[in-house]
Amino acid sequence: MQDTDVRALVEQMVEDMLKGKSIQASSDSKSSYAASVGQNNRVEKMPESTDGGQILPDITQIDLRKQLLVKNPKDREGYLAMKAKTPARLGIGRAGARYKTATMLRVRADHAAAQDAVFSDVSEEFIKKNQFVFVKTKCKDKDEYLTRPDLGRRFADKEKEIIKAAYKDHPKVIIVVGDGLSSSAVEANAAEMIPAISQGLKAKGISTGPILFIKYARVGAMDDIGEITGAEVICMLVGERPGLVTAESMSAYIAYNPRHGLAEAKRTVISNIHKGGTTAVEAGAHASGIIMKMLEQKASGIDLK
Amino acid sequence: MKEELLSVGIDLGTSTTQLIFSKLIVENMASSYTVPRMVIADKQIKYKSEIYFTPLLGESQNRIDFEKIRDIVEAEYKKAGIRKEQIDTGAVIITGETARKENAREVVNALGDFAGDFVVATAGPDLESVISGKGAGADEYSKEHHTTVVNIDIGGGTSNLAVFQRGDTCDTGCLDIGGRLIKADADTHRITYIAPKLQEIIQMEHLPLAVGDTATEANVAPVIAIMVSALEASVGLKPQGKYYQLLVTHRGIEFKEPIPCISFSGGVAEAVYQSRKFEDKFCYGDIGILLGEAIARSELCRRMKVIESRERIRATVVGAGSHTTEISGSTITYTKDTFPVKNLPVLKISPREEQENLGESLRKKIEWFEVEDSLQPVAVALTGAENPTFAEVQTYAGELLLGMKALMERGLPVIVIVERDMAKVLGQSMYALLGYGKDVVCLDGVRLQEGDYIDIGRPIAQGSVLPVVVKTLVFHS
Amino acid sequence: MILKTKLFGHVYAFSSLKEVLAKANEEKSGDKLAGIAAETAEERVAAKIVLSEITLEDLRNHPVVPYETDEVTRIIQDDVNESIYNEIKRMTVAELREWILDEAHTGEDIKRISRGLTSEMVAAVAKLMSNMDLIYGAKKIRITAHCNTTIGEAGTLSSRLQPNHPTDDPDGIMASLLEGLTYGAGDALLGLNPVDDSAESVTRILKRFEEIKRKYEIPTQTCVLAHVTTQMEAIKMGAPTDLIFQSIAGSELGNTAFGFNAATIEEARQMALGRGTATGPNVMYFETGQGSELSSEAHHGADQVTMEARCYGFAKHFQPFLVNTVVGFIGPEYLYDGRQVNRAGLEDHFMGKLTGISMGCDACYTNHMKADQNTIEDLSVLLTAAGCNYFMGIPHGDDVMLNYQTTGFQETASLREIFGLTAIRPFHEWLLRMGYVDERGHLTGRAGDASTLF
Repeated sequence: MQDTDVRALVEQMVEDMLKGKSIQASSDSKSSYAASVGQNNRVEKMPESTDGGQILPDITQIDLRKQLLVKNPKDREGYLAMKAKTPARLGIGRAGARYKTATMLRVRADHAAAQDAVFSDVSEEFIKKNQFVFVKTKCKDKDEYLTRPDLGRRFADKEKEIIKAAYKDHPKVIIVVGDGLSSSAVEANAAEMIPAISQGLKAKGISTGPILFIKYARVGAMDDIGEITGAEVICMLVGERPGLVTAESMSAYIAYNPRHGLAEAKRTVISNIHKGGTTAVEAGAHASGIIMKMLEQKASGIDLK
Repeated sequence: MKEELLSVGIDLGTSTTQLIFSKLIVENMASSYTVPRMVIADKQIKYKSEIYFTPLLGESQNRIDFEKIRDIVEAEYKKAGIRKEQIDTGAVIITGETARKENAREVVNALGDFAGDFVVATAGPDLESVISGKGAGADEYSKEHHTTVVNIDIGGGTSNLAVFQRGDTCDTGCLDIGGRLIKADADTHRITYIAPKLQEIIQMEHLPLAVGDTATEANVAPVIAIMVSALEASVGLKPQGKYYQLLVTHRGIEFKEPIPCISFSGGVAEAVYQSRKFEDKFCYGDIGILLGEAIARSELCRRMKVIESRERIRATVVGAGSHTTEISGSTITYTKDTFPVKNLPVLKISPREEQENLGESLRKKIEWFEVEDSLQPVAVALTGAENPTFAEVQTYAGELLLGMKALMERGLPVIVIVERDMAKVLGQSMYALLGYGKDVVCLDGVRLQEGDYIDIGRPIAQGSVLPVVVKTLVFHS
Repeated sequence: MILKTKLFGHVYAFSSLKEVLAKANEEKSGDKLAGIAAETAEERVAAKIVLSEITLEDLRNHPVVPYETDEVTRIIQDDVNESIYNEIKRMTVAELREWILDEAHTGEDIKRISRGLTSEMVAAVAKLMSNMDLIYGAKKIRITAHCNTTIGEAGTLSSRLQPNHPTDDPDGIMASLLEGLTYGAGDALLGLNPVDDSAESVTRILKRFEEIKRKYEIPTQTCVLAHVTTQMEAIKMGAPTDLIFQSIAGSELGNTAFGFNAATIEEARQMALGRGTATGPNVMYFETGQGSELSSEAHHGADQVTMEARCYGFAKHFQPFLVNTVVGFIGPEYLYDGRQVNRAGLEDHFMGKLTGISMGCDACYTNHMKADQNTIEDLSVLLTAAGCNYFMGIPHGDDVMLNYQTTGFQETASLREIFGLTAIRPFHEWLLRMGYVDERGHLTGRAGDASTLF
């Protein structure tokens, strides 16, 4: 391609793209805890204050890495520099041998976010907005999902038909999303990661077809989908069991020829996808590279070199 | 995943020339369940050359004898059993007074090319300070002990200061203070050379000291006292005396916080640490021993905590060989392997420009650069977003390409270096926008500033990462 | 052997001792998942009644996994002291329960008969005990072990400092380590769960631990909890190793799934004794947890309490310095909620002590379980009352690498103050010297300030 062609192309594309868009400042993601709890419309739910519209600040907005509560530390600057090296809750001070109120409440808040991520569902709106095809495993509710991992890996016949219909063109590569143990993780990351995967695949001439959303999904559900569709590679995005640092961590499990009885070691895993770990877009670009490698080597997991 | 890089360091100093080979162990520090994270996990020095006098040419000794240096390097490669093709990375540094020789620039560039495909040429007192400080281990000490350390590398012609706070480089400075600013015959002690700045001081102080005199401990003592006093002032132990400004090479350190620890490297450091007793103080034909001993008695050693340096006379060469190479982030894009590329000037977009009008700022910057330097390959550097959406990445990609239009028109490569972890998706997005018709290099994990130069080496670790050398004069604050 | 009883006029008949053992368990979601739990509350009690009349001899003769096919069974059975066994084999489980609880029998008496017990007997008696029985019984039994220091002495409560970091960043690890020390954590162990299970990484971290131990002259032991074979490789590479760690299961099949067998453990132990840095003689560290056998389909149809007891029988063979049950880590499909976690914690601790091993507990929970910080604070208080040797110590109880919650530095410090306990003697003296605790072991003004160690 000539440089002049490139120029024309870029200009055109860039112009189209820039219409009505500008780069969002990264400031909205500066405080790493901000959205993990804050974005769930908490503020709106709060009752109106009776004392002149005053409101207590959101404690989850505090950047824990920059908070030092030790009384008269010997070296404050050094302490903060040390704290910057780890997300662990250090420099929290104490009340007697117990915790200070602020840190105790923060742990409770972060735990609440984690529990809500597990025990709530991915919203229908989210599924609709992203045009995911909805299916559900054999679990009848969250409780059964949590206590019966076997049922979270299989689909009833009715659901199988939906899956079959969605992939009647038999794409080589299928991307699916499962709620797993964190609905928040899926809502925070899946919609950003998927276009990055598709873009990377498209560069190599591979398209993926519709995206499946699986309610009450365990990772093994991808094996059943492999059986049903005969796909060569399945990439499953699934919410990880939340920790207190973030309730929004997602994993991608990618396998070549996933079928019943696939050994766990044959899945390639990209975990820790969240705004404080590997970002969704970068993980997506990376995943596309892995998928290409799998198609070339016809292998995944420990067999993938 | 583990890989070893063979690195060379070559130091052309005021008085000595040295070479080392070291091994850089690059390892994936991430678990196999996450995206890889390749880092330099270990550095091991494999070979140290002899210490040679830096060969100079001509009556005035104003040119470096490149032929001789090349012979030295060639002989040392042979002795170490290393072929130039085996060298993966490394740096040549030209330091002290040698850096001021007429042909310094040519020599260092030629030597870089001679020493290996990706051996980077460096020069300048600031880089020298950083490199010698790291070679001495001052940065690691400051990090391990959560403290601030100044390392003073005292060579033949200059004293290079670098301040490290908890592992970060904070400031550098350089003074024209060194062991060979007065030279005397090792046998007769007759003075053969006094550096111009010292001449000036001797004159102003009316000291009875001139070329041709016989050097004694007593008659050089006042000059040494003035040098030591300037060093004390340089780290804030006392006010700057009347000769401080004169002795500063181009700038002193301006670091305002207290510096509790000090370490010494360079040839003179041997005498500071008094690792052995010298009967004849002029046995090296200079005042290095006396200068070192005076420093050992000074406020520098009495009021500050003196820490052992890991390397003394070899600090700079070790720094050049072991502490200049970095590794890019592990999820990056390059659509074609055209490496190494050397000495790319960095065009840095400020975070503000990045958010307000990236494409336009970049376009102007390139235009301006073209006027100044005539267009050559450049690396566009930016901070990037912490957790961008896919749409934001598209906008970044589009704006960057728009801004680099002039570069592309001249057939120059698209090289983007972003600090935050987004290079793979950003690179892929640019490549897609270009219709897969033009190659793209997009790296992350490297922090760059305006005025830096960057060298990018050949892909390593199954092509997953690129080694880079950043030549920076600006410090992270 | 009678496997049948009447309860409220209804006949309950069981087909095997294994079934009785399973159904006599307190309710656990893992037993339900395995399809072996009692169907009704009455059936559970019926099973307990049947179990109470079973003799120790019957339990010995009916291990839940056959001797011929399972090396864990063989190790447990072969380690039984036959003369002690012969003295007690006609006892029923009910009698054993009362014998243990009887004030006439001291901890030393219990330790003696312990040598005649198999893990099935240990599990059986635990099933007949209420929570307070488990505390009362365990409290009598003091098990000490010596690596560099002695754990388990009366008047002490110890803590494993667990300075985990999501990327093994050495500076991040050191940060948690230093702060933990100032709270008095780390007398049991400085022990990291690594992200990177490579010998190089393990060696690097062990060297760093060793440096810190030397620099501050800390009397304790260190370990990096990689796979046993990785740690052996690290020792060969010159890693300074005090303790060798491994997660273990109660069946050979379970251990195979973990990638080792008894010979591997013995080889590792010999290597630690021969080339390790510890004084010894106890140089092993094991972790267990109810449900792990089922999760690798290695439970042989047996319940999770019995399989857990078998872990301890296996562990005892290798004279460990530490064993702990990571009680709430496995998830709600095995232990559903706080109530089940606490019951399991008390059972495990009692069974470990009755087996004769130095028992600690990672009192913990994951975020998909119906439990919270109060759950494990309760458990840690109960276990301290029961004489537990040690707990975990993590900044604010939040493990940022394994993503679960356990006891924080503050918990051990509080428990020591509440119960009048201190750290292991030499470590306590170190804390005194450093000014972090007073004579009683209470925290001082300096405690909790990591920068005092810079």
